[in-house]
Amino acid sequence: MEFIITEHAQIDIIKIKGRIDSYSAPQLEKAITALIERGRSQFIIDMEEVTFISSSGILLFVNLFKQFLRENEGKIAFSGVSDLVVSGFKLAGFDRLFEFFPNQTSALDHF
Amino acid sequence: MKTKSFPGNYQNLEAISNFIVDQAQEADFSSHEIYAIQTAVDEACSNVIDHAYQGENKGLINICVEIINNGIKIIIQDDGIPFDPEDVPEPDITSPLEIREERGLGIFFMRKLMDEVRFDFSQTIGNTLTLVKFRGG
Repeated sequence: MEFIITEHAQIDIIKIKGRIDSYSAPQLEKAITALIERGRSQFIIDMEEVTFISSSGILLFVNLFKQFLRENEGKIAFSGVSDLVVSGFKLAGFDRLFEFFPNQTSALDHF
Repeated sequence: MKTKSFPGNYQNLEAISNFIVDQAQEADFSSHEIYAIQTAVDEACSNVIDHAYQGENKGLINICVEIINNGIKIIIQDDGIPFDPEDVPEPDITSPLEIREERGLGIFFMRKLMDEVRFDFSQTIGNTLTLVKFRGG
């Protein structure tokens, strides 16, 4: 997995490439935690080039959502998620927690 | 039938996935079915590392794939402590998020995505998890 973080005013776009699994999810979590510690809290997760996500990857985002809910601050949305990758979110019933946009531009427009 | 052994660490999950995807493609599954099999095996192997071996690089994950009539049978074996996925309660995915217990999501995925999930333990062989999926199942 590789990821690139791009800052757009208040919003950070995290573009991920490859697999999000038990190996890569902790690396991603560390990077997002570092952003939150810097006061950032608006994230668009670009998953256009994500080929696979396991339960550990899905739970990373669910726990982030829960943290934002508890603290009443922060937002997370996804863009470019393929049907296959979104199927894991749907199976666990987590798709209703997040907004999914077709691409980065529409995510930024509606964020 | 093809058999491969992988050192039990998270970095190897990708190599395991590639092996499984190759076999599932040979068995003529659809892309959604292949993704489902890939997910179930990834969750199973993560559980082996987390629960049976209780950490990385404690032993091997041996995977045997057999293309059967109208489907695929995957046997995952390890030498860790007994771990029966049946002992893990399913998460209640309808309960409110704030109180919801997320443990067991990987096993929930395995049960939902495969047609058969069977666990066996023996002192000589260790843990054996058998996953079966049928085309169009």
